[in-house]
Amino acid sequence: MSSNFLNATKPVQRCLFLVGAWGLVVAFGWLPAWADETTATPIDYLRDIRPIFAEHCSSCHGPEEQESGLRLDDRENLLVGGDWGDPTIVPGKSDESFLIRVVSGEEPDLKMPPEDEPLTATQIELLRTWIDQGASMPKHDASKHPQHWSLRPIAVVEPPAIDDPWIANPIDAFVLTRLREAGLEPSSRAEPRVLTRRTFLTLHGLPPAQKTLKQDSGTHAELVDHLLRSPRYGERWAQHWLDVIRWAETTGYETNLARPRAWPYRDWLIQALNDDMPYDQFIFEQLAGDTIGIDAALGFLVAGPVNLPGQIGKDEESMRQARQDALDEVIRTVSGSFLGLTMGCARCHSHKFDPIPQRDYYAFQAIFAGIQYGERRLRGEENDRWTAEAEKVKEKLDVARNGLEALRRELKLLPPLSPNNHTEFFEPMLADTVRMEIQSTNHSGRPTLFELEIWSAGETTSKNVALATNGGQATASSFALENQSRHPDNLIDGILRTGDRFPWIANSAGAGWIEIKLAQAETINRIVWQRAEEFPVDYDIKVRSPNGDWTTVAHPRNRMLHPEDTRPADKVTLEGVDETDVENLVAQLANARKLNGEYNRLAAGPQVFAGVSRPAEPSYRLKRGDPMQRMEQVEPNVPGVLGSIGVAPGADESVRRVALARHLANPENPLTARVMVNRIWQHHFGAGLVRTPSDMGKMGEEPTHPELLDWLANEFVRSGWSVKALHRLILSSSTFCQSHQPRPEALSVDADCHMLWRFPPRRLEAEVLRDSILQVSGKLNLDASGPGFDFFNQSGGLSDYVPKEEFDESGWRRMIYAKKIRMQQIDVFGAFDCPDAGQMTAKRSRSITPIQALNLLNSTFVNRQAGFFAERVRALSSGDPAELVSRAVELALGRPPTKAETRQLASLCEQHGLEQVARVLFNTNEFVFLP
Amino acid sequence: MLTRRSFLTNTYDGLRGIALASLLAEGGLLAKDNDNGPRIDQANPYATRPPLFEPKAKNVLMVFCCGALSQVDTFDYKPELIRYDGKPLPGNENLTSFQGENGNLTRPLWQFRPRGEVGKMVSDLVPQIGKHSDEICYLHSLTTKTNTHGPAENMMSTGFTFDGFPSMGSWISYALGTENQDLPSFVAIEDPRGMPQAGPNNWASGFLPAAFQGTPFSTTKPIRYLTPPGNLNVASDRQARQVLNQLNQDHLARFPGDQALAARIASYELAARMQMSIPDAAAVENESQHTLELYGADSANKNKAAFGRNCILARRLIERGVRFVQLFNGAYASGGNLNWDGHSKLKQQYDVHGEILDQPVAGLLADLKQRGLLESTLVVFCTEFGRMPMFQMGTYGRDHNPNGFTCWLAGAGVKTPYSYGATDEFGFQSTENVISVHDFHATILHLLGLDHERLTFYHNGIERRLTNVHGTVIREILA
Repeated sequence: MSSNFLNATKPVQRCLFLVGAWGLVVAFGWLPAWADETTATPIDYLRDIRPIFAEHCSSCHGPEEQESGLRLDDRENLLVGGDWGDPTIVPGKSDESFLIRVVSGEEPDLKMPPEDEPLTATQIELLRTWIDQGASMPKHDASKHPQHWSLRPIAVVEPPAIDDPWIANPIDAFVLTRLREAGLEPSSRAEPRVLTRRTFLTLHGLPPAQKTLKQDSGTHAELVDHLLRSPRYGERWAQHWLDVIRWAETTGYETNLARPRAWPYRDWLIQALNDDMPYDQFIFEQLAGDTIGIDAALGFLVAGPVNLPGQIGKDEESMRQARQDALDEVIRTVSGSFLGLTMGCARCHSHKFDPIPQRDYYAFQAIFAGIQYGERRLRGEENDRWTAEAEKVKEKLDVARNGLEALRRELKLLPPLSPNNHTEFFEPMLADTVRMEIQSTNHSGRPTLFELEIWSAGETTSKNVALATNGGQATASSFALENQSRHPDNLIDGILRTGDRFPWIANSAGAGWIEIKLAQAETINRIVWQRAEEFPVDYDIKVRSPNGDWTTVAHPRNRMLHPEDTRPADKVTLEGVDETDVENLVAQLANARKLNGEYNRLAAGPQVFAGVSRPAEPSYRLKRGDPMQRMEQVEPNVPGVLGSIGVAPGADESVRRVALARHLANPENPLTARVMVNRIWQHHFGAGLVRTPSDMGKMGEEPTHPELLDWLANEFVRSGWSVKALHRLILSSSTFCQSHQPRPEALSVDADCHMLWRFPPRRLEAEVLRDSILQVSGKLNLDASGPGFDFFNQSGGLSDYVPKEEFDESGWRRMIYAKKIRMQQIDVFGAFDCPDAGQMTAKRSRSITPIQALNLLNSTFVNRQAGFFAERVRALSSGDPAELVSRAVELALGRPPTKAETRQLASLCEQHGLEQVARVLFNTNEFVFLP
Repeated sequence: MLTRRSFLTNTYDGLRGIALASLLAEGGLLAKDNDNGPRIDQANPYATRPPLFEPKAKNVLMVFCCGALSQVDTFDYKPELIRYDGKPLPGNENLTSFQGENGNLTRPLWQFRPRGEVGKMVSDLVPQIGKHSDEICYLHSLTTKTNTHGPAENMMSTGFTFDGFPSMGSWISYALGTENQDLPSFVAIEDPRGMPQAGPNNWASGFLPAAFQGTPFSTTKPIRYLTPPGNLNVASDRQARQVLNQLNQDHLARFPGDQALAARIASYELAARMQMSIPDAAAVENESQHTLELYGADSANKNKAAFGRNCILARRLIERGVRFVQLFNGAYASGGNLNWDGHSKLKQQYDVHGEILDQPVAGLLADLKQRGLLESTLVVFCTEFGRMPMFQMGTYGRDHNPNGFTCWLAGAGVKTPYSYGATDEFGFQSTENVISVHDFHATILHLLGLDHERLTFYHNGIERRLTNVHGTVIREILA
């Protein structure tokens, strides 16, 4: 609603308001059952009121804009009122408050919100109650001091001074203190074999291999060191990060096409973890690695799904919307992963819960305004090899080209058709019709052209008389009916490839013709044809004079062949050139073409799907997130509540990313260390100290152990941001090493195990389960790095993905090396809450379903592996069934069987084979749970 | 529906209640403490859960026409479009839409005639569906947020244009569980010609637990791994599973109170029951010849017969208490050859697709009615968006139109015969009682006794809903 309109209607409004204030009975809407409860409890502005304003009002009456002079986050302003003059609120008197009248529809000419759905009865009632209770609120709610715990500086904390033999390191002091406050005691140390299995599964995502089991002599700390040195560690922990950023090797959406060069990012990530890359550097490389020659790391920025240009509408709104969506994915990735902030919420309006005005969202977007989805050159050793190789190929190419030029002169041929579009000149002649008869195209495909221009003679007055706007009319031998028009009208629309125009294409390969009738006879002297991918290489252009005579004015059979002309020699006719010479020419041309292709590939260097840098586009705040409603231009920055990255307006796009990386990696940033420490904790204990790992905002949960979180964050920074040091710290705690045995008295107080009175056991993730089965069957292939293996027989494209049921050795690699197809659940293991890479998954659900049971019992994969497992056992032991099953249980579960188990399994083995024993073991709870 | 707080207070039952709550939270099955969503017993995620208020419908059968079914050629009768045939669209002579320039207004390519006692004008493309107009509530003023197929299918199935949000069937399974413990609560039936355009995102559970994702199977694509591998005899399988159960029971005895272990044991029992009940439900061949004929499942047209059998399967699942069945008509992007995306030669392609769609869906409605299932089942007929009243420049087809299209509802709780909302005189954009996809979803949830604002799940900072932050129940169409 414009302010003019508001002004114009003001007197009417005022009048109605007076009537209303005197006489109207307030109509209460329908209230849900719990509304009583609401009225009874004091309204909390931040919890109850601010979200309503943020969602419905603040885009016009907030920090950025104050339409009608009204600003709802400012109590002073509310008491005074906006341009209308009526106090927006009268504390204690909701009936007299203008706010209530406009939102409840009591003002017929001024309804708020103006266009959207009205507020619900519940929301209006909340506003009423809030006003009646005095309308208390912070003086300026979106103000300077970040009160929320996660935005306060990380506190310097001393571990509680508590002495207990259970305490192995300061973590335990924090945990034990909290436990005792709740009247709980921790659990005793887990059995060594349980602890070993737990540590293996946690750090490697694999159960202990047989030979490790024998090494009982080492200490737990030695085991941890040993495991952290293994490359299996990075392979396991990389998955956690890939979940967070929903990395996948396809685009997502309808086409879901492959990103075949995305995998170098996955390899970079695994290596970074194995190298214990300091976390500040880990951040830097993923945001700005290109500035120091680390290109693969930028795969982080473009990990998310995005629509391909072909799937985006040709109208301006669709194109802008698509760009906004693409950038939104980048913002979600960066803010969710490093900051634990749900910045995406501020796209359409100021964040409802966290102090992120909408403007800050677009300022953050501006940091990435130069990033496009695509491949960039992957510098490094391979690239250097390619560059050297390219030089050699270039020499050969030059020789080949020189040879061709010599041949052309020898055969007395004119230079070839121009590389892109071609102009045929001829003596001026009067014409009313022009016809192009195409015999063949460069790949012997369907004849096609973008444009056929016919230029009138005359130095200054020359014009394209073919254009439809100049009266030209086009016809053709045929035209293709594809999704879009391929009509000959495209030849004379005067528009080249601008995205929403198309070429003429005939509906079948081979010969075809086009004909342009001019509005009247014109003197013409040149014809230009604009090529598409396919283009004519043998044709005749004929011109008709008004008396009806046709003259051929141009053909290319007296020219050298075009470099892209791939016709076989027997389809080529050249004037004055005999068959042998044509064959020779075609062969030399093919050789040069091959060398040229090779040169282009090598010169471009190896690629990685890691985003393309372009000059940054200007960024604007968008009203309600609508790409068609640009408001003020914004400069790159982090949300104001986190300070500033201090880059000059219009700074180079990489400068913006470097500044952000430095800002995030600054130990003063209250979120960076907390968020990462919490993630690491989560993957040890199944839940973080903050149980909403990518949301440390107001809607997230509060930490269960705030002091411990800060102490760990400080330790993390102090260690030089070493993730492995953090692992050692956590893994050496008694908290981690305690038993997972349930205890009734503790269950009754803290069933969720928030306080960690035992180690919380949990179902294994999909990847760990598959890798573990392969390890136990003896088939695990430890080939690391490089392109991934396929879970599908048919991948990419629009149609279905068909899952592969049988794998060979290449498919028995660890699952982190499977090509990750977005939105496609993989066979068998996808049902185990494997994220689909659609949305970010900081925390997986762990559901238990009958489909999981069917998959583990009946799938080809599990049954084949059960067969391999049985073979392995038989190779290791030649004894009776009891001995065989004993060996099988040891391999699968890392312990000898009980007598009862031996009896049952041996009987199964005798009657139905060792394969069934193996199948059963893969399905047991003990195998499927992390103890 | 109880809030979690009151649940814990009211049904608190000492250790057991607490342990259950613990299990739910550990499994990520509960939203945060302040959430309104239902509580899921991890050992029994499909347990029937009560709606918030008295429902009109118990289950939903959705027919999803992939590729964008043209409203002006089917259900949205526009006499002015016939009158203005061949003329530019007034006021939008140079409209650029999804694929570019548009040509002139083009009359419906099929004749419209009055159908049903109500005399609803429906075209000759879908005459048999039209005959059921007395049972149908047409919604002529749908609008959506995007003009691209994949995101628009996402929008219709999940309420968001993006990948990765839970589908409507998942939300409803999460809210209500299912009536038949031996079948999945949500089944997605793909078209015999192939996968829909947004693929499995149409039935994905997103961030909801995997228990609530749609189980895809059809008469041409059976459920995977329902039976033991071919070479395994029944006795071996039986004994292996007995031993497995014994091992798991012994293990559980060593960890008393660990509910997740018990839940896994229960999941194997449910799996065993599904092995019996799914083949029984899918045994379309057991239907009478009369029924096969009713659905066109005996047709010589291979695709029509297969889609007809899928329609019968849908009815059999509904009959057995499956909560949500999503039945697709039309497959992936194929230049309009395999779905309703008629850009270039709409008449020719729709003649093929109409033949496949019309009789089976009409048969489905007739059969549901004669079996009394329409009284408890909501039938939702939808598509991702509509098509332009013009032909595209230089083609014989229509471009995407997100601003006005028709969907319809039939069955439980719906006012019939009825037509609600309208597009302008050419069918170009919705002008009267405009309906958003969120409104559509809110209404469907309402018919199931659910409040779309209170069915939530916490994810990454937001209490997520099927309807995002929008949606109003269309009360005018409730019976």
